[in-house]
Amino acid sequence: MDALTAALKVAASGLGAQSERLRVVSENLANAQSTGTAPGADPYRRKTISFAAELDRLTGVSLVEINSIDRDPSDFPVAFQPGHEAADENGYVKMPNVNVLIEMADMTEANRSYEANLQVIRQARDLISMTIDLLRSQS
Amino acid sequence: MEPVSLFDLASKQARWLAVRQTSVAGNVANANTPGYLATDVEPFEKVLDRRPVTLAATQTGHFGTPSAKDKVAVRPVEYSGPELPSKNTVVLENELMKAGEIRRSFELNTAIVKAFHAMMMTVTKG
Repeated sequence: MDALTAALKVAASGLGAQSERLRVVSENLANAQSTGTAPGADPYRRKTISFAAELDRLTGVSLVEINSIDRDPSDFPVAFQPGHEAADENGYVKMPNVNVLIEMADMTEANRSYEANLQVIRQARDLISMTIDLLRSQS
Repeated sequence: MEPVSLFDLASKQARWLAVRQTSVAGNVANANTPGYLATDVEPFEKVLDRRPVTLAATQTGHFGTPSAKDKVAVRPVEYSGPELPSKNTVVLENELMKAGEIRRSFELNTAIVKAFHAMMMTVTKG
């Protein structure tokens, strides 16, 4: 396969990985207040995502793929809300271990990486069209 | 039978730049992959200087060996920055710089080929 086409393929895999990351961030943010429903039940547990480099046998370049989507094992913060349906006998409700600031930072970074991948695609496309321009009739 | 080896040289450089662009694409895509080492291609001078040993085809029945001279080696680069917990050595800014460099070189390359081609056309058309 042509090296520039391979570059396009790699950058496309990067776009896919970053959008998956953005999906996980949005899940975490959407569920930042999702508590359990039974008394003392566990609330939503934050999800984490990790990537891995995958060698593409056809072209010999390393694509990126989702390695795993795991759960964050950290402790849940508790809030004192005696009237809540998920409150235990002492009136404490377990809240999700989602830190909105961390999610925001993660989102910004996903955004930045996505942009970088887009830039690579744009450039590979330009290089290809520069080569095609050689064939255009001159004079 | 080429009086000036410019076209050969230019296509060699274009190929080298394309491989380099692929390496940049891989680095950018894996900018958040734990344990990934940033790669780069060998310098162009090295590709030019290579004199590979190939089997001579003395009969028409001989199979051609895949020539190793067009292959551009891609290997991990040395990393001097701080060691991150993720052991990833990609610096996004460097990659974008490299991308700009590739673009400039490629533009120059195609412009030279174009100019040279125009010269040849002038000669043939008169």
